[in-house]
Amino acid sequence: MDVSAQDAAARLRELAESGRLIAEYPRAGGLVDRLAGPELDRAGRLLARLDPGEITRAHPALPAVTVGVTGHGTLAPLIPALAAQFARHGLVPRPVPTDFGNYVFDLLDPGSELRRAHPDLILCVLDAGVVFDEVPVPWRPGDVRRAADERIGVIERLAARFDETGAGTLVLNTMPLPRRYIAQLVDHRSRAELGVVWRDVNTRLLRLAETCASVVVLDLDPIAAEGVRVTDDRLSVHAKMHLTGEMLTAYATEVGHLARQITGRAKKCLVLDLDGTLWGGVLGDDGVEGIEVGDGRRGEAFLGFQRVVKQLGDQGVLLAVVSKNEAALVDRALREHPRMALGEQDFVQVIANWQPKHDNIARLAENLGLAADSFVFADDSAFERELVRREHPGVAVVDLDGDPALHARSLLRDGWFDVREVTADDRARTRRYRDEAARMSFLDGFASTQDYLRELDIHVRIEPVTEAGAARVSQLTLRTNQFNLTGRRLQTRDVLELVRDVTALPLAVHAGDRFGDHGLVGAVLARRDGDLLRIDNFLLSCRVFSRSIEESCLNWLLRHARDTGAAAVLGTYRATAKNKRVADFYPRNGFVPAGPPGGDTVTFRHGLTRIAPPPAHIRLQTPEGEPA
Amino acid sequence: MNTIEEFIALVSDELSLPLTVADAGRELDDIPGWDSLHLLWLVTVLEARTGRNISVIDLLDAPDLRSIYRLATTG
Repeated sequence: MDVSAQDAAARLRELAESGRLIAEYPRAGGLVDRLAGPELDRAGRLLARLDPGEITRAHPALPAVTVGVTGHGTLAPLIPALAAQFARHGLVPRPVPTDFGNYVFDLLDPGSELRRAHPDLILCVLDAGVVFDEVPVPWRPGDVRRAADERIGVIERLAARFDETGAGTLVLNTMPLPRRYIAQLVDHRSRAELGVVWRDVNTRLLRLAETCASVVVLDLDPIAAEGVRVTDDRLSVHAKMHLTGEMLTAYATEVGHLARQITGRAKKCLVLDLDGTLWGGVLGDDGVEGIEVGDGRRGEAFLGFQRVVKQLGDQGVLLAVVSKNEAALVDRALREHPRMALGEQDFVQVIANWQPKHDNIARLAENLGLAADSFVFADDSAFERELVRREHPGVAVVDLDGDPALHARSLLRDGWFDVREVTADDRARTRRYRDEAARMSFLDGFASTQDYLRELDIHVRIEPVTEAGAARVSQLTLRTNQFNLTGRRLQTRDVLELVRDVTALPLAVHAGDRFGDHGLVGAVLARRDGDLLRIDNFLLSCRVFSRSIEESCLNWLLRHARDTGAAAVLGTYRATAKNKRVADFYPRNGFVPAGPPGGDTVTFRHGLTRIAPPPAHIRLQTPEGEPA
Repeated sequence: MNTIEEFIALVSDELSLPLTVADAGRELDDIPGWDSLHLLWLVTVLEARTGRNISVIDLLDAPDLRSIYRLATTG
């Protein structure tokens, strides 16, 4: 354990001893982030004792996530592991433990304690015993296949049923096969056969992620392959704890990132240092030709790391550079160095100067229109990392130390950028942000914003959400924080329900301009309610703020409501930690408060008698195809 | 961990229970805040601390902390 981890453990203990863990829960989470191994376990035990209700009362802005825990065997040790991971991510876990070994009933019966708690996540933790409990003795691989067909069939039906009727996300996992089963077969042919049977079992589990939109399957095999022990025979036999504490901790780490994602907190941008991070040597001293990348022991390792970074960038993670260097030299290195995997075009922004990095990170956030807490910062300098940690507690900081061959492992240790699925919009994200940078320099040439907007030639297309587009609309609700009028997150399945509901009117908003296509930029989730049209949520990507796209859409919706006989349109705003800037969205657009405000939720009403003219600089294509 | 005092301090710290040596002979279930789950954690904690295997069967059946101390120190 390094000094900072020791320090963090000591401070956490102080917080606990002085009874301030709840009052300082976010800070405690920051300390947990530094811990590993036994210290992390201990922190989890401390945090698991806190009352989630009290944490929420002390920190109402922190999202609470209800987590049901069921599965095969003793899973109670998972609860502290989850407590540690959730605290680390600034989330409040509300665990719903269940009785031992009842997962089929827990999942199937809508009246079960588990289902009645309406968990956001249901963890159904599986281990090889799920199948081997049903295998007779003596056995052959064929007996395992028969037992597996029966048990996995049950799990498949549970998943399908959950997908149809449940809310939230069901988390299953592959079951690493302990050697003690394979070694009971003395001939290699049978061992190979059991290996095939077992891989089929895990393949069937993994396939559930394809067939059931609300199911996530965590693959534990790669974790086991990294040397995390799957099972301790003594605890498995004597205490029915079939997975080790280590494996449950690794599992909880994955679940922590999943919870981050469903609460809209997945990271969006990877901010990288250069010298010692993307290449070896010091650019200012060694020159473009002298830095280590591509050739030599260290150069090969840095190239390997660049390839991993590029791979992330291709899946929608924005890449940026913040480096203490001469800008012109960096520019030349990124454009001209023949052995680099990453080039200038891979980054949404390269900031190279001699300013403190935390200032540059603030500037980067502003330029990209993102909150700094959606950043992951990776640097080989402990000094820079500590500074960024101190100045931007919401930024996830990756320690890149020592051998560059370990950089990729350090970066990938946590699933900071995990999402349920990568969409076409994600893949085009870097290009869009770069287009935006071109727009900004185009803007510099205009006397007024109005002139600029007119010249930008914005076109907007509103259309009903289709089944094929549901995943992208779900993503939008998960990623959008600032212009999200209620903060409500929808999974793909929730969006599909809206698509199929005849009273619902889920609309997707696409936009583009002379610099390129923005793709899906917003969504309006409305529904008919008698002679009212209710807007349940309105979302717009921060990439297209300040262009009046939202006014244009709302204006069309008002006219559409009036033309189809609605008496009024109601819109709801629910305050979240990040959506203050749209608190006056409805009043600014001719709505008046409908009744007294109730807590943090306000409903507004538009009587449809006077509808303002639409913004003149936007060409609007609507479902009716009417020119607007 | 050479004395019962050190052992009790370790368990108290690991499990965040306010224990003193006076609790060493108490029935585990009579210790306020005790949970059978704590025994599972103690297996990991004590094996890591002493560097040797502990008899899980005996630990799960241990009536009090003094017996666990004996298991941890004498194997």
